[in-house]
Amino acid sequence: MDIQALWLTLRLAASTTAILLVIALPLAWWIASGRGVARALVQAVVALPLVLPPTVLGFYLLVAMGPLTAPGRLLMRVFGHPLAFSFEGLLVGSVLYSLPFAVQPLVAGFKAVDAGYVEAAEGLGVRPFAVFLSVVLPLARASLLTSAVLTFTHTVGEFGVVLMLGGNIPGATRTLSISLYDQVQDFNYAAANRTALLLLAISLAALLVIYLVPGLRRVDGRQADIVQ
Amino acid sequence: MLAERYEKATGVKLLVSYGSSGTLTTQILNGAPMDLFLGADFVFPEKIVAAEMADSRAPVAYAKGTLVLWARKDSPLQPISLDTLVDKRVTSVAIANDLHAPYGQAAVAALKRMKMYDQVKPHLVIAENIAQAAQFVESGNAQLGLISLTAASSQRFQAEGTFVRVPTTTYAPILQCAVVMAKSNRLAEAHAFLDWLLKPEIQAVLGTMGLEPVK
Repeated sequence: MDIQALWLTLRLAASTTAILLVIALPLAWWIASGRGVARALVQAVVALPLVLPPTVLGFYLLVAMGPLTAPGRLLMRVFGHPLAFSFEGLLVGSVLYSLPFAVQPLVAGFKAVDAGYVEAAEGLGVRPFAVFLSVVLPLARASLLTSAVLTFTHTVGEFGVVLMLGGNIPGATRTLSISLYDQVQDFNYAAANRTALLLLAISLAALLVIYLVPGLRRVDGRQADIVQ
Repeated sequence: MLAERYEKATGVKLLVSYGSSGTLTTQILNGAPMDLFLGADFVFPEKIVAAEMADSRAPVAYAKGTLVLWARKDSPLQPISLDTLVDKRVTSVAIANDLHAPYGQAAVAALKRMKMYDQVKPHLVIAENIAQAAQFVESGNAQLGLISLTAASSQRFQAEGTFVRVPTTTYAPILQCAVVMAKSNRLAEAHAFLDWLLKPEIQAVLGTMGLEPVK
C-alpha cells in the first residue's frame, strides 16, 4: 500500500473541499436567489466539468497555463514554479474539476428553503448576512454536507486531470488513482487490488454518510436532490 | 508518418492505438482486439509471447531506439550537455514512467550509470509514456527531458529545441520488438506490415526518424 499516496489524496481532497465550500456558498446563494441570463450563464459554466472530458481541463492547465503563455508566466510569479507537477497545480485542477459537485447541491438546498422563513426574519429587521447564517444555512445543512462529501469523494476519484498535469511525483502529485494505474501497468495486481479496494471503501463510506445519517436529512425529511 | 506511407503503398488502412508499452501490453493481455503490437522494447512483447497470445515464438525486432536529453532553444540552460542534468538551476526533468515505459527504464538506468540519479531524482517528473515526457518538456512545463530520438527528430522538436545523445553505453539497448496477435482476424495483413517494416528501404527511412535499423 502506498501510504504516501493515500495521505496525499486525502490532503488534496480535504483542501479542495475547504476551498470549494468558501467559493460555493456565496456563489450558490447568489444563483439560488434569483433568475436571469447572468445566473443561467454562471450555472452553465459551473456545470461544465460534469460534461467536459477531464482531458480538456488537463490540456488547458498544462499548455494554456504553461510557462510559454502570459497567464502561465503570471502563475509562475505567484507560485514560483509552473502549475504543472505541483500540489498547488493539482489543487487548482481539482477545484475546477469538482466545482459543480460543490455548487449544485447547495443551489438545490437553498432553493428548497421556504421563502416564508427568510421573509419573516427580514421582516424582523435581521440583516441579510445574518439571515443567511442563522436561517438559510441551518435549514440547508443537509445540502452543505452533501456538497462537502461529494466534493471530497469526487476529488479522491480524480484521474484524468492528475495524469495530464501531475507528473507522478511521490508526495506531491502521485495520488491513489495514479498509484493504482501504475500498479496495473506494472502487472502488480496484488497491490492494485489493495489500492482499488481502499478507493472503493473510501467512496462507499462517504456516500453512506449521505444516505444513512439521519441528522443529514432535511428538516422536512427529504434528502438533498442531487443524491436522490 | 510510416503509417501514411504504408497506406499509400498498399491501400491497407492502419488503425493506430498509442500508449506506453506496459499500458498496451496490459490491454492486450486482457483481450484488447489488436492485430499487431509494436513495443518499444523486448520485455513487453515477450510477455505476450509468454501468454501464448502471439503468432510467433519470439518477438521480432524492428528498430533500435536512442535516448536523448532535450531542452527548448529558449531555455536559459542552453547550450545543454549531459552535465546540465545536475545544473543547480534545474528543478524539473521529464522522463517516461520507469515501471512500464522502456524509455523511462533506459533513462533511470542511464542516470544511475552516470552517477547522477540521486541528484536528479528529486527533480524527476514522470510521464505516462515517452510521448507525454516529450510533451511536458516541449510545452515548457519541464526544463529538461530524457526523451526518444524519435520525438526529438520530429519537425516540431527540431524547430523548438536541441538535444544531446545519452551515451548508449549507459543503458541497455532499446531493442524495439513487435508481435502479431494469434487471435487477429487480419493475420496476413499484420504479418505483411511487419515484413514491410523490415524491408531494407524502410529500415533506411527509420534512420531519418530517430530509430536505428536492426540489421
